[in-house]
Order: sequence, then C-alpha cells, then structure tokens
Amino acid sequence: MDSPRRSGAEDGGNGEERVVETAEKIILRWDSTVSEEARDKMIFSGDRHEVDRYLRAVDEIQRSLHSLAIASPSSGNSDRNPNTIQIAMARLEDEFRNILISHSSAVDSETLLVDTPRSNSSSSRDQFDHFSAATAAAEGEVDEEVEGEILRLDSGGGSSHGRRGSTSSRRSMRSSTSIREVDLIPSDAIADLRSIAERMIAAGYLRECIQVYGSVRKSSVDASFRNLGIEKLSIGDIQRLEWDALENKIRRWIKAAKVCIRTLFASEKRLSEQIFEGLSSATATCSSSSPPSSAASSSYSEACFLETVKGPAMQLFNFAEAISISRRSPEKLFKILDLHDALAELLPDIDVVFESKTAESIRVQAAEILSRLAEAARGILSEFENAVLREPSRVPVPGGTIHPLTRYVMNYISLISDYKQTLIELIVSRPSSSVSRYPGELSVPEFDFSELEEERTTLALHLIWIIVILEFNLEGKSQHYRDTSLAHLFMMNNVHYIVQKIKGSPELRELIGDEYLKKLTGKFRLAATSYQRATWVKVLHCLRDEGLHVSGSFSSGVSKSVLRDRFKSFNAIFEEVHRTQATWLVPDTQLREELRISIAEKVLPAYRSFLGRFRSHIESGRHPEQYIRFSWEDLDSAVLDLFEGNPVTQHLRKRSQG
Amino acid sequence: MWPGGADNKKIWAGGADNQGHFLGRISIRRNQVASMEGEVEDLELFQRKISDRFSDLLPPKKESYHSSGIPSSISISSAASDSPTAGSIDGDSSPFSGCETFLSIAWIRKLLDAFLSCETEFKAVLLIGREPSQVAKAPLDRLIPDLLDRAVKGLDICNGITHGIDAVKFMKNQAQIVVSALEQRPFTDGQIRRARRALAALQGSVVMDEKENTGKSTERSWSFGKRTSGASSKDRHHGLSFKSLSWSVAKHWSAAKQVQSISSNLNAPRSGEPTGLALTVYIMNVVLVFVMWALVAAIPCQDRAGLGTHIPVPKQSNWAHGICGVQEKIAEEWKKKEKKGSAGLMEEVIKIDKLAHSLVEFADNFHYPMEEEKEAEFAAQVAELAEICRKMDDGLGPLQSQIRELFHRLVRSRAMILDVLDQAGKSSTPHV
Repeated sequence: MDSPRRSGAEDGGNGEERVVETAEKIILRWDSTVSEEARDKMIFSGDRHEVDRYLRAVDEIQRSLHSLAIASPSSGNSDRNPNTIQIAMARLEDEFRNILISHSSAVDSETLLVDTPRSNSSSSRDQFDHFSAATAAAEGEVDEEVEGEILRLDSGGGSSHGRRGSTSSRRSMRSSTSIREVDLIPSDAIADLRSIAERMIAAGYLRECIQVYGSVRKSSVDASFRNLGIEKLSIGDIQRLEWDALENKIRRWIKAAKVCIRTLFASEKRLSEQIFEGLSSATATCSSSSPPSSAASSSYSEACFLETVKGPAMQLFNFAEAISISRRSPEKLFKILDLHDALAELLPDIDVVFESKTAESIRVQAAEILSRLAEAARGILSEFENAVLREPSRVPVPGGTIHPLTRYVMNYISLISDYKQTLIELIVSRPSSSVSRYPGELSVPEFDFSELEEERTTLALHLIWIIVILEFNLEGKSQHYRDTSLAHLFMMNNVHYIVQKIKGSPELRELIGDEYLKKLTGKFRLAATSYQRATWVKVLHCLRDEGLHVSGSFSSGVSKSVLRDRFKSFNAIFEEVHRTQATWLVPDTQLREELRISIAEKVLPAYRSFLGRFRSHIESGRHPEQYIRFSWEDLDSAVLDLFEGNPVTQHLRKRSQG
Repeated sequence: MWPGGADNKKIWAGGADNQGHFLGRISIRRNQVASMEGEVEDLELFQRKISDRFSDLLPPKKESYHSSGIPSSISISSAASDSPTAGSIDGDSSPFSGCETFLSIAWIRKLLDAFLSCETEFKAVLLIGREPSQVAKAPLDRLIPDLLDRAVKGLDICNGITHGIDAVKFMKNQAQIVVSALEQRPFTDGQIRRARRALAALQGSVVMDEKENTGKSTERSWSFGKRTSGASSKDRHHGLSFKSLSWSVAKHWSAAKQVQSISSNLNAPRSGEPTGLALTVYIMNVVLVFVMWALVAAIPCQDRAGLGTHIPVPKQSNWAHGICGVQEKIAEEWKKKEKKGSAGLMEEVIKIDKLAHSLVEFADNFHYPMEEEKEAEFAAQVAELAEICRKMDDGLGPLQSQIRELFHRLVRSRAMILDVLDQAGKSSTPHV
C-alpha cells in the first residue's frame, strides 16, 4: 500500500506544523509495509532514544488529530497523511506483541512449586498474612468497602503505575494468606507495554490490544500448565482412567491447582493490572465508535486478565469436575475428600483472584464443583453403608477369626475419622435407615439412635450405624457356621476387633464415644460367655454330681456304671473340643489368654474336685486308665492348645502317657 | 440437607434454586399422583410437552421463512464468488413476528430453554410419587444407567460448545474491529489496512478451527494479501489466535465422534416392554441426543467433520414430530452450507462469514474515491455487520451461561437419580 510520501524540505512555516511533520516522518519510516528495515527491526528492542522519539511522534499525531477534530473537521491540512495514525497503531500492535512474546516463557515448575506458601516465609509477609488472616474475619465487610474505595481511586487516577504496586501488595496482605505473585515480566518491559497500551487505547485500538495481549499470555499460561503437568483431558477421558492412575493425577492436580490460583493466575492478574489499570480512552480523542461493552473503561485490566485465564481456569476446573461426577465407589472417598479440602482451601483465593463481576462464572463454577465433591463424598458414604450391609460372602472364615470385611470396614472408618473435620461439615443428615423405613423388614438392622444419651455428630451416628450394619452382616455370616460355639467365637473375635480398632484411634474413639464403645465391649463379652456356655456346659455337665448317687444302694451311693459313662463321655467330649478348637483362632493374644484362663478356671477345678471325689471308685475297678485318661495337668496344658489355629500334633492321650 | 455455615451459603447458591423448586414440586405432586390414571396422564402430558416445545422451534411457514430473508437462500460456496453488488445480504435483521430466526443465537437459546423445561418435566414424571424400587426395576435398571451415561457424554459436548462460543466471540471481536475501522469517515487506506488485518484473523479463525486435524492449519492465514507487517509476527498472530480457539479441549477430542457415541444404541423399547416409564426414559434419551446434535451442528466446535445429518428419531411417533421437523430443517441447512466446512450453522456466524468475504473483496478492489452507489452498498454491509455484532454482544454471554446451566442440570439430575437408585439399593433385600 503506497502512502503518499512528502518531502521533509517542504515547510509549512509553522512550528506546530513542523513538529507534526517530523512526527509523521518518524512513523512512516517505521512503516513495515514500505521498508525492509522497518520490517526486520523492532523499535522497542533497539535504541531507547528511538523508542522515546517514536512514542512522542505518536502522541504528536494523536494531539494534532484531536485539535483538528475540534477545529473543523472539513477544513485545511489536506496534505497531511491521513493514514499515519493507523500505520503507527499497526506498528505498535506488532511492537506490543513482540515485547509480550519475548517475555512469554512459561514460569517453570520449579519456581512455581517452590514458591508455594511455606517456603516463602523468610519475609515478614507471612507474619502479616497470619495476622491478617486472624483479623480478616473481624474486619469483614467494612474492609471490603475500603478496598473498593482504593480500587476506584486507583482506576480513576491516571497513568502512574507506581501506585499500583502499593495497592496490590496491600491487597494481598489484607485478604489472603496464600497468594504469591511473581513477576512474569520485568518492570521495564511492563513500562513499555503500558506506554504502548495507553496509546493504542487512546486511538481506539483497545480490541486489538486485548486480543494480542490475551493470545500471547494465554499461550504462556498454556506452557506453564504443561510444566505443571495439567493435562487437557475430556470428562470422558477421565472417566475411563483406572482409579490408580487417577489417584496420582488428583495428587498432582491439588499441587498444581494451588500454584495456578495463587501464583500463576494471581500473577497474571497483577500483570494485567500493571499494564492496563488506570488507562482509559476517555482522556483522549477516541475516533472509534464506542468502547467494547465487555470492557467498560474502568476494567480493561480485568478484561485482559480474563481473556488470558478464563480458558485455562476452565480447563483446570474441568478435571475436578470430572472427578466429582465419576462413578462412586468406596475407595474414592479419601481422594475425593482431599480434592474437596484442597478446593475449599483455595476458594477464598479464587474469590480474590476472580473478584470481578465478569469473573463471576469462574467463582460460581469453583463453588459448584466444591458442592458436587461434597455430594460425591456423601453419596460414597451412603453407598459404602449399602455395600457393608450387603456384602454377600457366605463362606465362613476358617477358625472363626476376623472376617476380611471387618478389617476393611474398620480400616475404612478409622481413615474416615482422619477426615473428620471435613466430614463433620459434610455429613449433616442422620443415617437413613436409623429408623426402619419399612416396618417389619428384617433385612435392615434396628437401631434407635435416641438410645444414645451422649450428643453425637451426624458423622458419629453414621460411623456407629456402619458398625451396627457390619455387626448385622456378621451375625448373618455367623449363621453359616455349623457349630454354634464357633459362631459365638467368630462374633467375639470380630466385635473385639472392632473395639480394639476404636480404642486404637483417638479420633475414632472420640467420634464413637464411650457409651457405644461400652455397648460393644459388652457384646463381645457376651459372645465370649455364649461361646463358653455352648462348648463347656456340656463338658462340665459330665462332671456334675446329680445322677451319680443311687439312694439306698450297696456301693456307698455311687453308681459305678453311671460314673464310668460320665468319665467316658467327658474324655470323648474334651478330646473332641481339644481337637477341633485347637484349630480355631483367637488372633488377639490377650483375648486368647483371657479366654483360656476363663475356661481353665471353670473346667480345671471342676475336674479336679470330680476326680478327687470319684477317682477311688474307678481305680478300685478294672481298667481304670480307660476312664481316667487325663490328669489335671493334662487338661491344663490342653487348654493352652486352644485357639492357636493349628491342628494338635500329639494326641492328647498319648501326650499324657508319654 | 446441606451443611450450614455462613461460608457455605454462597457455595450452595449456585444450584440451590433449581433444587428447591424441584423438591417443592415433588412434595406437591406426591400428594396428588398415585393412581395409574394419574400416571398415564403424566406420560401423555410429557409427550405433548416434547411435541409442543420442539414444534415451536420450527419456522412458522415455508413462505414466510424464505421471505424473511433467512440464510436459506445463501450458500457459503456462492458467497465467496458473490460480487458486492450481488451480495445485498439479507439486511433486515428484524425477526418475524414473535419468532426467532432459525439457527440464530436467539433460536439456539430457545432450543436450550425447551430442553431444560422438558428435562424438568421428565424428572417429575420419573421420580415424583414413586417408590425408589420402581426406578431400579427392569427395564429401567438398564435404561436409566444408559441415560446417565449419555448425560455424562453430553457434558463434554457442553464444554466443547462453550469453547466454540469463545471462538464465535473471537470472530465477533474481529468483526467489531472491522466495523470500527470501516465506519470512520473520511475513508483512508489506513482504515482499510486495519480492517483487512481483522478480516484475515476473522476468516482464519473459522477455517483453521475446522482444519485443525488436517494439519493445514496455517495455510489460510498466509493468504492475507500484502504484507502489512513483519511476516513472522503476522504468523505468530494468527497462530496464537488459532490456538486460542482450540484451547483447553483435549487435542484428540472430536465433537462429531462424541455425538456419534452419544447417539449410539439409541433404540426404542421393544414393543413387548414399553411400560410408560421405559418409554419416557427413551424419549428423554432422544431429546438429549437430539439437542446435543443440534448444538454441534449450529455452533463451531472442535472437529465437527463427519457429523451425521441424522440421528435415530422415530418419525412415526406423535411426540417426535417437532423434533423430526427441526432435524430435517437443520439437515437441509447443513446440506446447503456445510460443504465448505464452515464454522457451524449459527445464523450470525454464517452472516459474518459472508460479510467478511464481501468486505475482503471490497478492500482488495478499493480505489479512492468510491462511486456513490458502491459506497452506499458498502456502508450498508458495515451497518449490517455492526448489527450482527450487537446481537452477538447481547446473545453470546447469555448463551454461554445457558450452556453452563445445561451442564449443571445434567450433573444435578444425574446426582438426583443416583440418589434414588441409592435409596432403592438400601431398601431391597441384601443377599446375606
């Protein structure tokens, strides 16, 4: 495109004219459509004097257009090049882009990750932050207004961007504990960008300016995202991933999201403020029709900021969004809670970084995701309750030991108790089946929470409920043991395990409360008693006195044959018990010990006294060894074989003979 | 039901309204509905609603449709060769009485309204006054998870569309630059230069967006006539603007494939089994798939190549008349305009594209001074472009929020239905 060139020798004879003429010359010299040199070199990467000269020239042209417009639009100066300002703006757009690009390298992940809160505490800033965090609540809304005031003053206050810094640092001191801005572009380059932006906006080139700024910065954010390992995955992609892979991604996302919000986005925000805040087209002649409605004059910086980060923010949140709607299963609960907590922690920072009205959708989205994650956590807990109730395995665990389900559930709920702070907030409805919704239905345990006298959180009620369901399921499983003694032993073991798990975790113990713990303790004791009754009553039955004495009989009132039968059946039963129950298991050593002692305390004295009283009757007859096979010591050591889970190596009788 | 606390109030504000409203309806209905007749009536109402809402989206009559200057008479392929004289482009942007121009932003918003309203009705029919166990029984135990899967697939389409609207916004921004350059008088070379730069970016954005997967993405941007600035920086400029369009969608993601996947296995319940509810779920599936398809057809989004012009809608069913009508209409438009791989059928986008072609030609042949007739025609085009920009300024933001609402709704409803299934799971007999 040929621009009419004018010889510099021509003299308008007017000082003003000359200045404008010189300005035109400077601008035309840098018209890249015309000269090779202008195309290859950038003004702002060269001589600073040339930069100043060029900017002054642009100002002169602007001013002259302005005064021309005011004087009389139609008259005079027809020889002036009408294209100068557009040529200048095309040039400035290129310069603007070039400066941005030469400083658009991604913030490397080292800087980003190192620059997380705690590592930055050498300055007094942290102290301020902690202090301000503590006082922020108290200051509340008043402070909000003050800040609004500051912003208004600042944005109306012309182009001195030195002031901006103080406002910005004040802000981060005041409102957030964790925002850590870094300098994305050195301050001299910022000054250049600002002086270009100022002129482009004044000439009505705001849209170009925003577009260039947004596209270059966006690709820089994109590169930082890559450094941080934030991937572009669709929701479908994420749903298809294995949970293990997702767990890692969640961990990485949490780290990355913190850096994104607190450093990356916050720094972008500050950068756009440093360049654009306070600029307005109102001060200069804007020959363009009207400023874009999306960027009202007070918030060019906001428009530029959002142009840059809106897409990236969406991409970032998309991952959390996908997780929040992923298929619910128990193992996901804790990672989802991690994600929830991380996002909840970030929410105040998100509110600060995206404080403007135009960024509302981003704030809302973050809040939505948070509530969905909460919902997912609730859903998973509920599903977990279902799963515990319906866990279908029917094959009895050998030896009546602790069922894998019990271990799983108890480990799960002690992990839950680690997350109690969050979950106490999230779990607000009482267990849904606490009062049976279908009266008379036997498949759901009955439990009346009003029985509990202590005040419990709903989370605690859920945990108690889970234990109730677990017990209910275990009761069902215990029915599959042929031997009722083993069924009781199984219940004893499992409920005891539950109690131990609760006692082992202070958090869990506090949640469950002593009252319910006492109930549980009572339960496994009862199971222990029931076991002893089921097994040992019939053993002891052999050693009872009734039925031995025959009244008026010849042989001092004791029926020998009855006595022999008694010894025989005692031997048989005891031997059988010893043989089978040695293979049973009580994994807890203390419980095992106590149970043996309790057994020994019942059986040994009874046997000893029975033996003491009736031994002579047997020994006086034939083959006494057939009837008195065990010594008291034999029994004592036999009891020690019980519940070890090993088949007895020696036959009881052989051992006693040996 | 929700955690309290001052902090949380804000958090829940997002979707709480819908929820409250919906639950309100449940409790009202629960007392009314129970009988079989009530249920049959509900299903009929639902079907009628579907039929009505989608019939509303059809242009009123063939004649008025043409005479109102809807782009049916314009095809992209001819637009390129249109001389400015021939291109008196449907200047009247006033919509015919009370009805939105087919495939305009306003129309797309109406489509979304229709979907949201039908979806609300659907939940009412499905969930209100019902034992959870009913929803978990066959054949619903198969149909509902299927619907939920489709809903999740719809979410990615929503995201793709959101980015697509960003691309349209980019077009609009460039168009606005064109307008502000070409509105100025007196008319100078410099303004032409400014306009051309924006026009190149505008056209580049459309074509490159479509060709991303063919690897020819930058070809178009080089075609921008004379070098107005450093070649390398020009390249960067377009490269970046292109990037900004496909931003934050996974590279391999394809809108066309997603639509294909969401519409697969969309089978009517076999004649033996359609109890009322099964049919209702099926209808909702069709509505969902249809709306997603229509959105992808209308709005630029990543890789639309190979989008089918039809989705399986049972033409003979009464409830499907509206949907079928709209689908046929869209397919017609598609055949006319989609050959060249444009950026979607959205009326405003097509108009901008056409005007851009015409203005580029104008700029290429620009001589000063202009003939009066030509200048008037040119001014009319600029005015039309300005008017479209204004419409976009008004419409794109709300459209984007509506897409977001759609996204939110799909997620919420899914959660709601999952909750019901969860309850059903609790109440049925465990296998102990």
